[in-house]
Amino acid sequence: MTSPKINETQQVSPKNTMFIIGMMQIGVGLLSFQRIAALNSAQDAWFPVLLTGASTLIIMGVIFRLLENEKPYGTQELFSMHKRFFGTIVGNALNVVAIAYQFMVGLVFLRAYIEIINVWIFPKLSPLAFSFIFSVIIWYLVMGGFRAITGIFYLSFIYILPLNLVDFYLIGDSHLSNLLPMLEHMPYDYLQSFFKMIPCYLGFETILFYYPFLKRPKEAKQWAMFGLTLTTSVYVTLCILGTVYFSHGELMTQVWPIISFWKSIHFPLFDRFEYLGMILWIWALIPSFALGTWVVSRGIREITGYIKQKYALIFVFLLNILFCTIIHNRLQINLILHYLSYVGFGFLYIYIPFLFFWQWILKKKRRRKHV
Amino acid sequence: MKRLISLISCILFLALSGCVQPSIIDDILMAEAEGLDYLGDNKVLGTITVPNYVTGGVSGSGGGGLPATAAMMSSASAITYDGKSLVEKLQVKGQKAIRVGKLRVMLLNKAYLQHGIRKLIEFRNQDPDVGRDLYLIMVDGSTKELLEGTYQTQIPISRYIYDLIFHNQEKNFPLSNMKIFMYKYYGAHMNAYMPIIKKQGKHIVLTGYALIENNRYAGTVMGDNANFIFKSLLETVNLGYYDYEYKPGQHFVLEDIQSTISYKVKNGNGAEPKITAQVKMSGNVRQGNPEIKTKNYYTKMKKKLQNHLENRMENMVAAFQKKGVDPIGLGDIARSYTRHFNDSSWEDHYPNAQFRAHVSIDINETGSSEMHDSSS
Repeated sequence: MTSPKINETQQVSPKNTMFIIGMMQIGVGLLSFQRIAALNSAQDAWFPVLLTGASTLIIMGVIFRLLENEKPYGTQELFSMHKRFFGTIVGNALNVVAIAYQFMVGLVFLRAYIEIINVWIFPKLSPLAFSFIFSVIIWYLVMGGFRAITGIFYLSFIYILPLNLVDFYLIGDSHLSNLLPMLEHMPYDYLQSFFKMIPCYLGFETILFYYPFLKRPKEAKQWAMFGLTLTTSVYVTLCILGTVYFSHGELMTQVWPIISFWKSIHFPLFDRFEYLGMILWIWALIPSFALGTWVVSRGIREITGYIKQKYALIFVFLLNILFCTIIHNRLQINLILHYLSYVGFGFLYIYIPFLFFWQWILKKKRRRKHV
Repeated sequence: MKRLISLISCILFLALSGCVQPSIIDDILMAEAEGLDYLGDNKVLGTITVPNYVTGGVSGSGGGGLPATAAMMSSASAITYDGKSLVEKLQVKGQKAIRVGKLRVMLLNKAYLQHGIRKLIEFRNQDPDVGRDLYLIMVDGSTKELLEGTYQTQIPISRYIYDLIFHNQEKNFPLSNMKIFMYKYYGAHMNAYMPIIKKQGKHIVLTGYALIENNRYAGTVMGDNANFIFKSLLETVNLGYYDYEYKPGQHFVLEDIQSTISYKVKNGNGAEPKITAQVKMSGNVRQGNPEIKTKNYYTKMKKKLQNHLENRMENMVAAFQKKGVDPIGLGDIARSYTRHFNDSSWEDHYPNAQFRAHVSIDINETGSSEMHDSSS
């Protein structure tokens, strides 16, 4: 069942890991995290945000070790790893869970984006029409293979970067004294903010699926770490900006503080910057969603062994469109996000260390057998 | 095949524009100013104005004096309940759909502020259609009269008011648009303020600032001198001026004042917190007084002005404390300087807080003429 080694024409340079990881982590969570981070730890929110970012570096280290240790046994990815560790049946069941999770992540991102568009610009935009047309674009992209997806990651990185620079317009309105007194809260408050920040950082675990597509994967490690550091710095600076720009009471009333940021920027010929910002934000959505569906469709192929990826893809899109239409208000989106954050936490901080441990046990067992 | 798909997807994206409601600039009325007059018993008289884009009259515009296809309606008003979206209410009077996206100024009369602005502010915060750089303004008199009045300028009333306030906030008046208002309104231990304007014949004048405490009107800071003091306590001043009457009937003016402020708080949780403000100013004297010798500006008069400003600042804060309003946000400053700040007891301690101001003035130059000893 192990798939053959990936052809070099399909592989990408290890540098791209930075763009993939960076852009996977930047999603709709970025638009709303400031309030959530400040919920428990007010002016010290930047600290748990930094801690969560640091913890992702550790998890990433574990993921890389896990994948590198897998080299002698076959394809270095989660699907075949599951099958090797737990046998075909249990392994495939776990694979189904993994792709269901990836599917939900993509779906929620898309649906939350549609919600933002609905709230801010086009109240009448139907999720059905948008998700349908969006799916056609993503289909085109995923059919181009992993290289095309990587290209889109690079492009979106370039497009989204200036959007973050724009936020520095607001430094003029900042009240630096809002950051004082520093580190005043109890460890328990930080812990709560730490957990609440985890969903924002999710997305980097997709490296478990595309690792074989990286040329010279050893080099990819440092780029992955760069990517994680970059997103951490983005989150921390935005968190500090949110603290100094809003008073705590005001921040608590904002659902999407970043969009309120943009709302305050205006140029002589361009009165409302947030409209541009939100439309540009689709560039954060396209690559993450494309990679998500790529993983899901590839997973379906790996599990069944006979369904081709392009047919699996159509099935995934139909499901996506269906769910996008069924979910029709913010409460439902928030509910899914809530549960998803638990699953994501469990997956990254519990399940991956567990896999690492299991791999180690298997290695011991095998060595004993040989001796 | 792939090209075909990309082509189709592009075309489909164009089709998306059919899904939503269009807003063509010629076919909508853009409300730029809203005025609310409180009538009592939760009833509000709301007025909106819409700029009138009429071509012609102006040479080179090519309109030939004929009205364009654009909006002809210029204002509308109706009585409604407090907290109601005016644009929605007035839609039935609109010749075309009225949109609120370019709202520039919101005028409220004094009775409205006395009644309470909570519903309005919550609505503004919730409604994503409106930008955050509009001005919330109190009108001394009726907002309807002010908005529907005729003035010397042909420019739409909304922009007239906007420009008037904008340029004054670069000088003596504190910055106050909606984003600053919201900051102060929702923030703990600070109170919001908004400019006051008044119709005076064929002009509009900015008279001072209204203070808001607990959703309601809580006094004013009137005049450009008082507002200079107010502004220098609040934020960095870049182009202020201060008219100093050093003895009855005798003035000199400190101009182009740059001023920065920093606070220090001691004993923030105690019964009598000590707050010290350090104000550093630098400015020029252009309009002096023939009585004063030039070199005295740098010594005697400077000292006098420093003492005078310190007194005024301390008096202003004392007046705020007496009324129980805190537009400067001294409570928030105390919070930032105090570990484990006691939020609940601050309200009791605020009136007893000891406020000291230290002003140091740096006079850069005194213009192009000099007054010597002999010339007097």
